[in-house]
Amino acid sequence: MAVTTTAPAAPTTAAASRKGGAVAVTATLVLLVAALALVDIAQGTSAVGPAEVWKALTGQADPADASVVIASRLPRMAAGLLVGAVLGMAGAALQAVSRNVLAAPDTLAVNAGSYLSLGLVAVTGVSLPLLASSGVAFVGGLVAAAVVLGLSGLGAGTVRLVLAGSALTLGLTSVTEGLLLLFPVQTEGLYAWNQGSIAQNGFGGVLWMVPLAVIGLAGLLMVARRVDALALGDDAARGLGVPVRATRVTTVVLSALLSAAAVTLAGPIGFVGLCAPAVVRLLARRYRGFSRVRTSVTLSALAGAALVIGSDVVLRTLVSSDTAVAVPTGVVTSLVGAVFLVVLATRGRDTGAAAPPERLRIRSRAVFLTVAGTLVAALIGLAVVSVLLGDTKLLLGDVMNWTQGRAGRAVTFVLDTRVPRVLAALLAGAALALSGTLVQAVTRNPLAEPGVIGVSGGAALGAVVLVTTVPTAGPTGLAAAAFAGAALASALVFGLSARGGFQQNRLVLVGMGVATASSALISLLIVLTDPFNATKALTWLSGSTYGRTLPDLLPLAVVLVAAVAVTVARRTELDLVSLDGDTPRLLGLGLSRARLGFLALGVLLSAAAVAAAGTIAFVGLVAPHAARALVGRRHVRVVPVAVLLGAVLVGTADVVGRTVIAPAQLGAGLLTAVIGTPYFLWLLVRSRGEAR
Amino acid sequence: MRRLLLTAAAATAATIALSACGTTEPAADKSNKSAERITLTGASGTKVELDGPAKKVVGTEWNVVEHLVSLGVEPVGVADVKGYKTWDTAVPLTNEPKDIGTRGEPSMDTVAALAPDLIVATSDLPAAALAQLRKIAPVLDLKAADAADPLGQMTGELDLIAKATGTTEQADKLKKGFEAKLAEGKQELEKAGHAGTEFAFADGYVTGNQVSIRPYTSGSLIGAVNEKLGLKNPWTMKGDPAYGLAATDVEGLTKLGDVEFAYIGSDGDKGSTPFTGALAGNAVWKSLPFVKADKVHRLPDGVWMFGGTGSMESYVDSVVAALKK
Repeated sequence: MAVTTTAPAAPTTAAASRKGGAVAVTATLVLLVAALALVDIAQGTSAVGPAEVWKALTGQADPADASVVIASRLPRMAAGLLVGAVLGMAGAALQAVSRNVLAAPDTLAVNAGSYLSLGLVAVTGVSLPLLASSGVAFVGGLVAAAVVLGLSGLGAGTVRLVLAGSALTLGLTSVTEGLLLLFPVQTEGLYAWNQGSIAQNGFGGVLWMVPLAVIGLAGLLMVARRVDALALGDDAARGLGVPVRATRVTTVVLSALLSAAAVTLAGPIGFVGLCAPAVVRLLARRYRGFSRVRTSVTLSALAGAALVIGSDVVLRTLVSSDTAVAVPTGVVTSLVGAVFLVVLATRGRDTGAAAPPERLRIRSRAVFLTVAGTLVAALIGLAVVSVLLGDTKLLLGDVMNWTQGRAGRAVTFVLDTRVPRVLAALLAGAALALSGTLVQAVTRNPLAEPGVIGVSGGAALGAVVLVTTVPTAGPTGLAAAAFAGAALASALVFGLSARGGFQQNRLVLVGMGVATASSALISLLIVLTDPFNATKALTWLSGSTYGRTLPDLLPLAVVLVAAVAVTVARRTELDLVSLDGDTPRLLGLGLSRARLGFLALGVLLSAAAVAAAGTIAFVGLVAPHAARALVGRRHVRVVPVAVLLGAVLVGTADVVGRTVIAPAQLGAGLLTAVIGTPYFLWLLVRSRGEAR
Repeated sequence: MRRLLLTAAAATAATIALSACGTTEPAADKSNKSAERITLTGASGTKVELDGPAKKVVGTEWNVVEHLVSLGVEPVGVADVKGYKTWDTAVPLTNEPKDIGTRGEPSMDTVAALAPDLIVATSDLPAAALAQLRKIAPVLDLKAADAADPLGQMTGELDLIAKATGTTEQADKLKKGFEAKLAEGKQELEKAGHAGTEFAFADGYVTGNQVSIRPYTSGSLIGAVNEKLGLKNPWTMKGDPAYGLAATDVEGLTKLGDVEFAYIGSDGDKGSTPFTGALAGNAVWKSLPFVKADKVHRLPDGVWMFGGTGSMESYVDSVVAALKK
């Protein structure tokens, strides 16, 4: 409860009237959190209501009721407040130190690291007492954060930090999802854990975390003034005598500690670290004092606590108590947070500066030709090998027989199912890579990819809605549903961010909101309608080419060919759009229209890919980056290389997933991330040396 | 990177060159059909036509596999063989079937290579996968579970599989044995003074700092068996429409009152036994009337809670043994 009673010091620099307003805002927030906390204690699965809680608190209740209040309600409320506060603090500090509104505990891969370490423990069947398994989650989270920090280079670019974090998150989550699919019985409950829940088994966990939260908060308040100086820019801060590197390291380590503690207590509670500071930033626009780190960290803690405990109260008010138990808190905070984020992004001014363009060496034509030639050769080889390899190894003669319709029953069957899968993987990889290239060029944001702007999420949601409502739905229905979902999501994202000509932060923020909301809705749908069909939905979501037939691939092929043609024809425009906001306008190019066109193409491509092969994350992010690193930034070269790379990446992932652990198999999407992550991290490390 | 790509290209080229232009299977031949045809209807309404009783059968879910083994049909392919051996020791496999991969995504290649006469699958598989399996062999698709009539669902499945494999006599024997076991169990419980006893069955999982409990409502197979034994199901919540399972937390157990409480875990998985582990020190758990009265029973491992007659007979035995203690 320490959090609710510490009111932040009133800002001294603000004007008197503003100062009064800021105090009033803070006090209101404190009251709100306290009221929500009180309501929360009175809610639960047992018959203990407000009257019994009151009796228990005054020591008049019967022992059973008192034990419910003491061992279940109070720990849950305390955990909700603590987790929210800690995540809010961590997010505010990270965003201040990285000058990036997208920085949050989730993007440091802390959550993903904990998820994987718990998954590994579950699979090995090693028995661990409660605190030890919490410890495992903690260590996993810290290790992941350390890897991200180490690879991204402390004190170097902050975009790099978020990039490395997102990449590692995708990779680690994929490994864990693979474990969930391969060991469904041992990992029972882990999928739900990953949605985050503040329910507690007694006070043990909360007591264990309080000191960590206090240390973290104290530490952050101590470095706050230096972080304030960083806002002026690294060089200016250095001029003021602030140790830039040390400040950044300290802040990030403290934030990692805080978020790892939160994950340990409640599982990953999504989006609070991103959303709470965003709320405070909105307030800071009215009350200037809030923009200082010391106050913004404290206020973000309050906002985070309100968000988490408020989500819990809302959920328990809306649905019956037994249903509420099955719905993870993290799902609700994600939904609430997503709505908040979208509203903030559309109402606020776009304050984020464009990310500086990557520093890349100019590559010669010979390099481009070599790379492209090698990739084409690799693609052809991969296609042939993919068709031959599988549980049943085939020889080229079998394939010849099959093409002439003379193969035997077994070979015919194997190739009938295998060839569409190989094609689906190659086409989906190519389409996603092209989509990523377009989206990154248009948004000039190295983090943008179909997944980030919410399109893949919308498509997946559409498909899962169909899977849960019509269990017998065929592939055509799934494709249609995916298309509908993607169209709806992109209409929402682009519609909301259209004002002001698709400014980059607004677009990405709205996109992330929609993406998070759709994944939360997917979890909600699965938990509420058919909790034991999760494997089916997961299978589809993990980007599997399982069960594809040739007609399913037709839309994807058509869209891909058309998109490549358009992109090649409009390559110069694409180069200009990706450069900066002013040059195209000076040259008389309708910026909004060009951007809208390229974005629409990107959406169509990724929807078609999701329909054909599920959500394959990462290709859209990695392939364009890799292509630019290999052949420079001109799109006439980037596009073919990215498309080829995407096809090779997903194709390789598919053939590996089908063969290595046969007869069990993993989705191409999972392996794409597993293969893509190390390569991408290596690229990051290498380009660090080059850029300097 | 370029060197890496070149190496990859060279390696694939070499592989292709090495894979000689042979075939792995002779050309197809026409098989003649026998007279004794069997026609069945699966859960999705698809007709299944068999030339005769199926001998080489593949099962994609454990309940289906249990039915096959009980009927004396040794399945040639089973999904997740290791998992079956861990969780269903009531009806152990009598042969060494081929592992066809996970229950969610069985490998088409492996199933095809087994050249089965019949594949028995459940609606847990995606429709597209069922469509592809139908190209390999006739597929009998069953509803995964049905909370509206769990026992009828189980015996109905058994009958369909028996019809397809020409083992209807054995199925009748199994059903009669099961009925007898239920009647006998009910009688023994009555004798021990347990007619109408409130009996709550659950399982639970510990992950991180949280304990989730899964009540088996009257729509679950276990719940239905309990009712046949003359026991009352004290869970008031509604289960899911397929398996009849609900969700609750420790607090939710306070609504149970003074009941008998039973669970099945697995020794190989400490996370599946929260009632003796994580909850032992919990104040709410300790204040529950049935915990205080020492009426918590851990039933033996290896009874698949969603299995067939064999698993359920073992379950009846363990309930009777636990309550008579």
